[in-house]
Amino acid sequence: MGTVQIRDVRKSFGTFEVLHGVSIDIEDGEFVALVGPSGCGKSTLLRMIAGLEDITAGEIVIGDRVVNDVAPKDRDIAMVFQNYALYPHKNVRDNMGFALRQRRVSKREITERVEEAARILGLEPLLDRKPRQLSGGQRQRVAMGRAIVRNPNVFLFDEPLSNLDAKLRVQMRSEIKELHQRLKTTTIYVTHDQIEAMTLADRVVVMNGGVIEQVGAPLDLYDRPASLFVAAFIGSPPMNFFEGDFVDPTTFALADGTRLKLPVPDPKGRRHGTIGVRPEHFTLEQSGWPATVSVVEPTGSETQITARLAGRSIRVLIRGRTATRPGEAIHLGVEPELIHFFDAAPVPALAEMEDVA
Amino acid sequence: MTALAVSRPRRSSRGALATRLRIVAGVAVSVIFLFPIYWMILTSFKDQVDIFTTPPKFLFTPTLAAYAEYMQRADIVKRLINTVIVATGAGLLSIVVGTMAGYALARIRLRGAATFGLLILLSRGVPPIALAVPMFLVARKLGVIDKHITLILAYSTFLIPYVMWLMRSFFMALPRELEESAMIDGCSRYGAFFKIIVPISLPGLLSTLIFSMILAWEELLFALVLTSRHASTIPVAIAGIAGDTVNGANWAALTAVGTITVIPVVVFALLVQKWLIKGLAEGATKG
Ligand SMILES: Nc1ncnc2c1ncn2[C@@H]1O[C@H](COP(=O)(O)OP(=O)(O)OP(=O)(O)O)[C@@H](O)[C@H]1O
Ligand SMILES: [Mg+2]
Repeated sequence: MGTVQIRDVRKSFGTFEVLHGVSIDIEDGEFVALVGPSGCGKSTLLRMIAGLEDITAGEIVIGDRVVNDVAPKDRDIAMVFQNYALYPHKNVRDNMGFALRQRRVSKREITERVEEAARILGLEPLLDRKPRQLSGGQRQRVAMGRAIVRNPNVFLFDEPLSNLDAKLRVQMRSEIKELHQRLKTTTIYVTHDQIEAMTLADRVVVMNGGVIEQVGAPLDLYDRPASLFVAAFIGSPPMNFFEGDFVDPTTFALADGTRLKLPVPDPKGRRHGTIGVRPEHFTLEQSGWPATVSVVEPTGSETQITARLAGRSIRVLIRGRTATRPGEAIHLGVEPELIHFFDAAPVPALAEMEDVA
Repeated sequence: MTALAVSRPRRSSRGALATRLRIVAGVAVSVIFLFPIYWMILTSFKDQVDIFTTPPKFLFTPTLAAYAEYMQRADIVKRLINTVIVATGAGLLSIVVGTMAGYALARIRLRGAATFGLLILLSRGVPPIALAVPMFLVARKLGVIDKHITLILAYSTFLIPYVMWLMRSFFMALPRELEESAMIDGCSRYGAFFKIIVPISLPGLLSTLIFSMILAWEELLFALVLTSRHASTIPVAIAGIAGDTVNGANWAALTAVGTITVIPVVVFALLVQKWLIKGLAEGATKG
């Protein structure tokens, strides 16, 4: 059974705590993505599940066994590392068969299973090559092959695609998804790329600074971010935020005095807060929030507009095309259900977000 | 454009000149260093008369007399065997212990590990002469003077730190994920070390082993102090011949024994070079 339960897990390196109590329940066959900015503890958590790091406090349960004190080799998991960690002195066949040989599986069965995995991943012509004779994408595939021949209870991936170029990354992404649909093995997938997390996972766990910000289905996170952090992290281009005061339930005053009419009042009735609107949820209207266009970037299917509103830069994404020109004054509207309200808090630095996206 | 076109060939010809100068300098240095060895080997094939002719002869009738004479003296053959035993024993012991210690220092997070490693390295700063006498006293008390094992252990005191530090940096260059992957694939840490890390490190291991054996092969001080007859090594014999004040220096004998001593070192050094280059070409550290 490939269920994984993480119960209030903490991790300290020396006196420095990097995970501050994390709990996740993962069902058999589920694909869960752990996503978050660099240094938030994703890899550490994954390595604790693998048994490569001690668990400082809390419990990890795989199947029906508490594995805190179980060696990695006895956890029935397979892991794909960012640098693939292929054994450089073994050819592809032996790399893929190594785990089975350790388990004293018969020679004939090893051959069968390696060849089956090679067929699934299109590695048959490469079986006799050494890792150094493979391209980055092929190595990545071998690393996946090494994991799937094991037929483990749980797959663990730590940023398996981040060493590939953009095009290959998109291709491998759909291959991983296809593989999961076929094998239905529980998968925990670490990435800092929110698009990867959204497109692959049944459920996404957003982490930040050693705690979980929110757990949910990809579109739940997109539609109903529980915190400013999640709102800023999920979605590309990122959500626009405005901090200010609610003068009355539907009037929002920014620091410079600009007043924005809100389509709905804040359900929590805050006096001071942050509102957020995704670029793709703005519409161009005759009247609404006043802004001045600074850059127009058409891509054919959509047009990205960078505009200034109350002295700050915002992004607007319009379906199709628009005749808007730089310097022009526009008015932005937003549907009542597409505006988000948060407690006032510093918006996570966009530069960092974009860097990791 | 024109400036570029003109300057380019000039630059490359200057580069070629620099290369040529470097080659000349390299050859000159090699000649200076290799000439004494060449002279030693040449002398070992001369007879007594040719050795003392002035100016020195480069063309002469070679003779194996010096070799024949000294190979027949049992103690040279025996010392050769002793040297092989001691160098091999010390080399193997040090490579096993030093490699495992180096691995531990490279990988296992342990408080004080760095300090411990530095202490071991510092111990190499103690001049051997300061250790030789205490070692002699200890060995005599234990009744192990003039035994192979004594010399092997004595050599290990400086070879183990040497191997440890060389292998430590070698292992640190290997990605940690290699062992982690092996441990997930069904190995214990020992299994991962022996099945994955050791095979990958083989070129480095063999080179280090050979270097250690060369160091043990040519060691004189400990051999002089800790052995007398039974376990005595070749360097001691050379020192004996060179320092023979009763009969005067026997040049033929000295150079013949010297040549015998140097040949294995040269062969070993060539082997090391081959393995090192092979190791580098294979990109052993490439994940
Ligand atoms: N062996 C270690 N010793 C001390 N601190 C560590 C160790 N490993 C990780 N850390 C710290 O733990 C925190 C979390 O690291 P982790 O590698 O889990 O981050 P991550 O979310 O995977 O980031 P990235 O996206 O950059 O891979 C970081 O602050 C890191 O410096
Ligand atoms: Mg990481």
